[in-house]
Amino acid sequence: MTIENDSPAVLRDNAEVAAALGRRYEAGFITDIETDSLPPGLSEDIVRQLSALKGEPEWMTEWRLKAYRHWLTMPTPHWAKLNIAPIDFQAISYYASPKNRPKSLDEVDPKLLEAYDKLGVPLHERAKLAGVAVDAVFDSVSVGTTFRKELAEVGVIFCSMSEAIREYPELVQKYLGSVVPTGDNYFAALNSAVFSDGSFVFIPKGVRCPMELSTYFRINAGHTGQFERTLIIAEEGAQVSYLEGCTAPMRDENQLHAAVVELVALEKANIKYSTVQNWYPGDEEGRGGIYNFVTKRGDCRGDDSKISWTQVETGSAITWKYPSCVLRGDRSVGEFYSVALTHHRQQADTGTKMIHIGKGTKSKIVSKGISAGRSSNSYRGLVKVEKGADGARNYTQCDSLLIGKKCGAHTFPYMEVKNPSAIVEHEATTSKISDDQLFYCRARGISEEDAVSMIVDGFCKQVFRELPMEFAVEAKKLLEISLEGAVG
Amino acid sequence: MSPTPAPVPFIDGLRDIDSVRLAGSGHAWLDTARRENLEAFIAAGLPDTRAEAWKYTALRALGQRRFTHGDPGAPTRNVDPKELVLPGVDGPRLVFVNGAFRADLSRLEALPAGLTLQPLSMVLSKDPEPLRFALSRHYRETSDAFARLNAALAGDGVVLRVAPGTRVGKPVQLCFVGTPAEGDLAWHLRNVIELGEGAELDLVEHHVSNIAHKHLGTVVTDIVVHDGARLQHALLQNAAEESTLIRRGSLHLGAKAHAALHVLELGGALVRHDLHAELRGDEARLDTRGVFVLRGRQHVDTQLSIRHQALNTASESTWRGVADERAHGVFRGAIVVAQGADGSDANLSNKNLLLSGLAEIDTKPELEIYADEVKAAHGATIGQLDERALFYLRSRGLPYAEARALLTAAFCRSVFASLPNESLREHFSEALLAHLP
Repeated sequence: MTIENDSPAVLRDNAEVAAALGRRYEAGFITDIETDSLPPGLSEDIVRQLSALKGEPEWMTEWRLKAYRHWLTMPTPHWAKLNIAPIDFQAISYYASPKNRPKSLDEVDPKLLEAYDKLGVPLHERAKLAGVAVDAVFDSVSVGTTFRKELAEVGVIFCSMSEAIREYPELVQKYLGSVVPTGDNYFAALNSAVFSDGSFVFIPKGVRCPMELSTYFRINAGHTGQFERTLIIAEEGAQVSYLEGCTAPMRDENQLHAAVVELVALEKANIKYSTVQNWYPGDEEGRGGIYNFVTKRGDCRGDDSKISWTQVETGSAITWKYPSCVLRGDRSVGEFYSVALTHHRQQADTGTKMIHIGKGTKSKIVSKGISAGRSSNSYRGLVKVEKGADGARNYTQCDSLLIGKKCGAHTFPYMEVKNPSAIVEHEATTSKISDDQLFYCRARGISEEDAVSMIVDGFCKQVFRELPMEFAVEAKKLLEISLEGAVG
Repeated sequence: MSPTPAPVPFIDGLRDIDSVRLAGSGHAWLDTARRENLEAFIAAGLPDTRAEAWKYTALRALGQRRFTHGDPGAPTRNVDPKELVLPGVDGPRLVFVNGAFRADLSRLEALPAGLTLQPLSMVLSKDPEPLRFALSRHYRETSDAFARLNAALAGDGVVLRVAPGTRVGKPVQLCFVGTPAEGDLAWHLRNVIELGEGAELDLVEHHVSNIAHKHLGTVVTDIVVHDGARLQHALLQNAAEESTLIRRGSLHLGAKAHAALHVLELGGALVRHDLHAELRGDEARLDTRGVFVLRGRQHVDTQLSIRHQALNTASESTWRGVADERAHGVFRGAIVVAQGADGSDANLSNKNLLLSGLAEIDTKPELEIYADEVKAAHGATIGQLDERALFYLRSRGLPYAEARALLTAAFCRSVFASLPNESLREHFSEALLAHLP
């Protein structure tokens, strides 16, 4: 697209940016809603209470306890290029749920619906128009899932994790923890012990999910953490596109979000997972903001399967996130497209892992990092080709854009190859927005701020193209708002 | 419930070491530095693969060996002087055999004016004071574990100084020879090299072994290139097939200083090479180029770290790796552009050939950028020889092995194209070809 074609759209969007100037973090409101929550603290008792509150079967409680006991033995990880103030796990309440839990969507507290409306999430009537099935998670519980009937007709299961544990225990038992084991890492172990809810998706053999599925996460209550767990299973030949969005109110404290997402793709299945992460990033001085420690992993178990991760990370005080693909099946494909933007004092250490095990497996990584203010933005990735992965192929591209003199942009790619027929390529560049580009735009009467947002948009285009349409628009706007005040 | 650590003979062998008499002992500061470094090394033990700097290089096997440190027989070991000859290198020469200086093999007569070239042992026994700063340094990083050991036990090495404005006409050769000795021998060398302002030096570092042995050698080299000085540094590592060689280099460049490094790693069973380069003065420039060619069960780990900390500095790094049979090649190339180092231009390319199903290559190019007026890029690939090129050569009657060797050599040779000493460049190519399976 040429700049000329872009101009009207850019100008319109810029009016919105200007409007957003005053509010900065749009999603920063707090919904005054009564919540039930567990007292702060973490112990075996809390884990048991949590499990009991959710009416879970014995095996689930045991599974949690096993994870908790393992977590106790693990040291906090320090390898990431992040500066993390020690987290007091005893000060967090591990469960907060809106009182008056609804039986169906119609009974949902209007205040809650209003909250989601403000966020632009189609939960109710609007859902039908938008044509996206939504599971909304408010603090620790899922408050409603739309379009269930339509999905059930084709055999797709889309519900909250708690419901899945009750209704489909055999599926949950078979797949939960099979991609990210309880003891996988510090935060995954913590999540396994205390996860409160999340989404569960099951696409049966040969079914192409008729609509996009979406989960919207919202942290509302103070002094709580959110620990959700998502499990998506696509059977032979199934296809699904899943979107995830998240926001939180502006608070001075650092709230913890430690999620686990597991994807399982059987033969010829195709899973596309898109995230727009907009947790509260903290203020200019780095006060408050969400600590986002997420373990996401997809397992291409079947031959010819494909898992594609797309993420736009603009929020969170700290992001620690490495969506990965285990390419077990022959000719399976893994993809990772990422835009990570940090501003003020945000820190991000994000990237991916591609583990090539099957023959003829392919992976592609495109990562775009943008750092502004006093932030630190790192790409950390691993491409591993095991002995048996004949003909494995990887291409990685990591570009970083620096805006300002006090930020940092870093790249840490690991490449480990044990197969002589594999081809692994990595390319990375770091630069600032070139004066020539800026001058070109300025000479054509475009303000500096608009020029920067245009250039950034072009820089990220490769990734935005992978996002579903509605998300791409949202992502673009988010980026502009997040970069507000970065220039000059 | 912490399990009792398994005994590590390597470490145990160090506990009763104070019987060793090293050059310069008796000077309180040197004794203290040596003792503290030894204690720190013993306390920390050998790093394991959980330490990021040693992620791909396991030292378990090394830990199971108990070494004698220093070879008392070194002054009389038989070394064929012909082994030390390199074409195109006919200047002054300093030779160390099993870690000890050998005047009989060195060439120190008629040194050009402005060049100081002495063995460390001699300097230490006369007046170690000028080296106090360099030798009382403490190493704290886990990647520097062996630098600690070296600081504790090195009694010899090279002290080389080029006076400001001096242009040393002939290349200076540093030879590190390993030769069989009784028992499991470890030796340690410490080199201090300084180029004064505007000085020029052509340096050739040669690690060589005439007969098979399994020694452990550690070499720590500090090079300072002052403002406007120029250094050409060529390094040929052809150590014994079963030896272990651990080198740590530091290189500091002043304003408008220029250093070019060419490395060819061929020998050794376990080789680790750390290079910490710092571009400290404005407009300093560093070019590093290197190749490792591995076969058998060789393990070579190259760790390059380049730090830009002044205005308009430039670095260009081109590294190649070839691993055949059961070899394991590791490369890490980290570029740091510090805050305020505007106008930095950093480029790193690392290409690798994996020629066998049992070989492994791990590479990790890194960028850490804290300034915005920079151009920084890196690229890394791991792949194999071009099938079509192989087919082309074979269709013209070349046997498979020869075609493969030819293409592999071509892949590596580009790295040395910039080596100005033509005869030496030829020798590098020949050594490379001879090493290919």
